[in-house]
Amino acid sequence: MTAKLVVQGLSHHYPDEYTGVSVHALDDINLEVNDGEFVAIVGPSGCGKTTLLNILAGLLRYREGNATVDGKKIDGPGPDRGVVFQEHAILPWRTVAGNIGHGLELQKIPRQERQDRVAEYIELVGLVGFEDRYPHELSGGMKQRCAVARTLCADPEIMLMDEPFAAVDAQTRITLQEELIRIAIATKKTILFITHAVDEAAFLGDRCFVFSRRPGRLRETVHINIPRAERNWGDIAANPEFVRARDRILALVREEVIADDR
Amino acid sequence: MTDRLNRFLAFWRHFPGAKVINLALVIAGLLTAWALISGSIDNPDRYLPSPLAVAASSVDMLYKGLLPSYFGDTISRLLLGSLIGLGLGIPFGLLLGLNRTVSDIFFPIMNFFQSVSGIAIFPIVVIWWGNSDKTVLAVILYTSFFPVAFNVLSGVREVPLRYIHAAYTLGASKFQVIRDVLAPGALPHIATGSRLSIGFAWRAVIAGEMLAGREGLGWMIFTGQDADMTSQVILGMLMIGLTWIVLDHYLLRPLEADTIERWGLVQR
Repeated sequence: MTAKLVVQGLSHHYPDEYTGVSVHALDDINLEVNDGEFVAIVGPSGCGKTTLLNILAGLLRYREGNATVDGKKIDGPGPDRGVVFQEHAILPWRTVAGNIGHGLELQKIPRQERQDRVAEYIELVGLVGFEDRYPHELSGGMKQRCAVARTLCADPEIMLMDEPFAAVDAQTRITLQEELIRIAIATKKTILFITHAVDEAAFLGDRCFVFSRRPGRLRETVHINIPRAERNWGDIAANPEFVRARDRILALVREEVIADDR
Repeated sequence: MTDRLNRFLAFWRHFPGAKVINLALVIAGLLTAWALISGSIDNPDRYLPSPLAVAASSVDMLYKGLLPSYFGDTISRLLLGSLIGLGLGIPFGLLLGLNRTVSDIFFPIMNFFQSVSGIAIFPIVVIWWGNSDKTVLAVILYTSFFPVAFNVLSGVREVPLRYIHAAYTLGASKFQVIRDVLAPGALPHIATGSRLSIGFAWRAVIAGEMLAGREGLGWMIFTGQDADMTSQVILGMLMIGLTWIVLDHYLLRPLEADTIERWGLVQR
């Protein structure tokens, strides 16, 4: 297996917005994500996981360490790294189809090819019949489906997801998680998924990086050896591998949270 | 009795022509009051000519071709000045909004200039360029530039950062971010700012023509006062108000409402 994303010795400090005091957000992060792999990152809030994602997305500049995709140093945002944001970041003045095709439009892909690919991804995320709707006419779950389709349609090398399902209701979240597994199987994309929900990380990830509290360090990598085809909420709760991985992640996260409370 | 009255009022509320008839009644009332006051004072031709006298003077000025010519002068000045003002102000506001640090610096400066009204800068422009068309046009341009630029700038600052970030991660260039994110995101502010700008420019045209002009509605009012032709003064005032209502009601407001209400940017 080849490494798609490589992060070496990455540290990050930033001045606090109000006090100006330097905050140590990330400390000496070393990690690799393989081609086609689904990796979840879990950690207590404030552990720098969103900072890491913003650096990988190219939205935040870094000075210490190195981060590469396919051997190319990350320097600013680019269509090779698609991002699905925490809150709804699809454009309210574009229809579902207009949002999903936006990346192709920016890359100046001809109309016909664009329409074909948009239709393909609308089908993939189950938004057929909603092509001409505006975001304010969609439910929270549909908006995030649209956001995922928009990112995938631009055909990135790696999809970075920042707690994308945190704002939807529990029932919808379960459906979206199962759909994301299906999409990962269908597209074979490399996915880096940030979450604070332990269950979500164990359900989705082939591996899970557990981060320590601030300054964020990679504490442990938990492997979850469950074929993607077996990942559905009906069966997985009884799977001993899932239970083991989830309990291990939970124990690690709790240690961090308890240590933080002292 | 009250039942019949209530039923009539309910009918009247839903009668399509009711609004127009109500408005006509109010206008008729105002005209009557005006005529009564005019009829009860000494020397009304000097202090408050009757509506009929104003109508007669408008017929007279129409006949001489002065009214259409003055009106055309004023409107073309307004359009020329405010269109250039908007054409420069909108892109300027968008460009400033592209960079947070730059927009933070310019925000108070733009706020300063948009509050110094056209009439307040008139004297200095007259010192520079004298009583000329150039002076009037410059003031109109100034007056329409800053309100729209300031509004667009504040609109751009309100576009959520995640929209901008999302566009960049999809591979957008700076120009594409302006075109696809900042401009549509600030569109309600662009519409409101344009309407404000044209409103201010309309005031500036009249003031400019009074202070430095040789023709136009402002000039017509000014010379009316000089020549002791009060009916001409009142006619000028009426023209200014009526033109604005037509412009605002049929052009600017629909434009604003359209852009704001589409896309659910404002939830109804």
